[in-house]
Amino acid sequence: MNDKILVVDDEESLRLTMKLKLKAAGFDVDVAEDGEAAIERLKNQKFDAVLLDINMPRMSGIEALGIIRQQFPQTETIMLTGFADFSTAIECLKNGARDYLVKPIDTTELITRLKSLLRSKSSEQALFEVQRQYSSIFFNDLLGPLKEMRDSLEKALKLKGKSDTTQREKLIKDVHDKCDKIAKEIQMLLDFSHTEIEKKTSEGASINTTELAERLKQLREKVK
Amino acid sequence: MEFDRGSRNDDREPDRESQDGAHRMNEERKDIIRYQYRFEFEQGVETNFDVDLDSHSLAILGDDDAPKPAWTKLNFNQCENCPLSSEVEYCPVAVNLSRIVEKFKDNVSFESTVVTVKTHERTYVKKTTLQKGIASIIGLFMTTSNCPIMDKLRPMARFHLPFATSVETFFRSVSTYLTAQFLLSRKGKEPDWTLARLLEYYKAINLVNKGISNRLAKASERDANVNAVIILHSFGDGISYFIQDGLEEIEPMFSVFFENLEGPVHQDVEKPSASTNPIAR
Repeated sequence: MNDKILVVDDEESLRLTMKLKLKAAGFDVDVAEDGEAAIERLKNQKFDAVLLDINMPRMSGIEALGIIRQQFPQTETIMLTGFADFSTAIECLKNGARDYLVKPIDTTELITRLKSLLRSKSSEQALFEVQRQYSSIFFNDLLGPLKEMRDSLEKALKLKGKSDTTQREKLIKDVHDKCDKIAKEIQMLLDFSHTEIEKKTSEGASINTTELAERLKQLREKVK
Repeated sequence: MEFDRGSRNDDREPDRESQDGAHRMNEERKDIIRYQYRFEFEQGVETNFDVDLDSHSLAILGDDDAPKPAWTKLNFNQCENCPLSSEVEYCPVAVNLSRIVEKFKDNVSFESTVVTVKTHERTYVKKTTLQKGIASIIGLFMTTSNCPIMDKLRPMARFHLPFATSVETFFRSVSTYLTAQFLLSRKGKEPDWTLARLLEYYKAINLVNKGISNRLAKASERDANVNAVIILHSFGDGISYFIQDGLEEIEPMFSVFFENLEGPVHQDVEKPSASTNPIAR
């Protein structure tokens, strides 16, 4: 299914030209003439990204951006700025817009930025899915040893004051080993997060979730 | 207020508008094409621009006293494809635009305005955004400026359509170009029915639009002027997509030409003689 884009601009010629360009690049496109109309469109159908002009009558792009971020957080926003709008554009980025383009808009740049944004969005979604699936597995991995440690410590406490310390020392060593294992597992997750995922997302590369899940599985086995 | 000059402007109080422009226009010389633009703002202010064109050459008339601020110099943010030599001191497009740019440099693009355009034949009135109104008149100024690149659009000034939609402008562009090709073939030259050269022209025109918008950004405090040029840029930018996809959308309207064609059409296009031309008969 094609990515769906909403073009919001008060000028009809700009809306039509962008629609023609984006359709030719393989996107599904709808248009709205101002912020209010854009919010109505978003209420009725899901869009992957919105191209949002800043200076518009009735509801400005900045107001619309605030509503989009609040009510439609899965929809990405690229601001379209004209003359002397740079500081406003930067403000929009701080308020959740993902990018901005300066008019007159270069077609190649528009398509490249949009595709890059949507690729990164789908990578983030895939990553979120992997994290969701594997977080329960890793919590179980941690929960088992923690319960065993608690049992060992309870037993060790009961042996306090006994002349034979061998059993007690054995229990404490068991707790120590399990602490090591948990620490290794946590470190492995941290390392994985820093090196593999961050590197891939910062490069803007799409994430192969199957490969990612396999790497996590291998590391988990290694720690065990 | 004078009306025997080319492009000029003045601001008037509404009560002075009782002077009837149509009456004056009836007294004008027939060889002048005149477009009278009036912008009425909500605060009661009016701004007027008259554009006079020579009806044969479509050259702008009587604008020798146009202001020439620093941003109109040719080498000030010169367009990257500008063919003019450094001997030319001023950018012809910028000079043609100077009066309107200076007038609206402090205005916001989406400011509401009622624009009235009077011609010899009719009057157009539209409540619109300032950027759309400026884009309409700027298009006239740019195409009649003697810029060698914008000159390709000059015939469109004769059939100027104020506040045209994108599709209307695309259609006028294609129609004008195809008319030029027909006239070319009648002269025994090779016409371009594929519109390939039209796209080449628009590539160059887009660079000029981009250059002019950069120039105007330096000359204006607010965005009305720049956004007006951006609108014109969007027409040029969209025409290749219109030819590719948009023409298909309007194709059904022409179906009457595709049906019941009997036999081959005479291929050699010649200037009709009095005996073959039903109008001349």
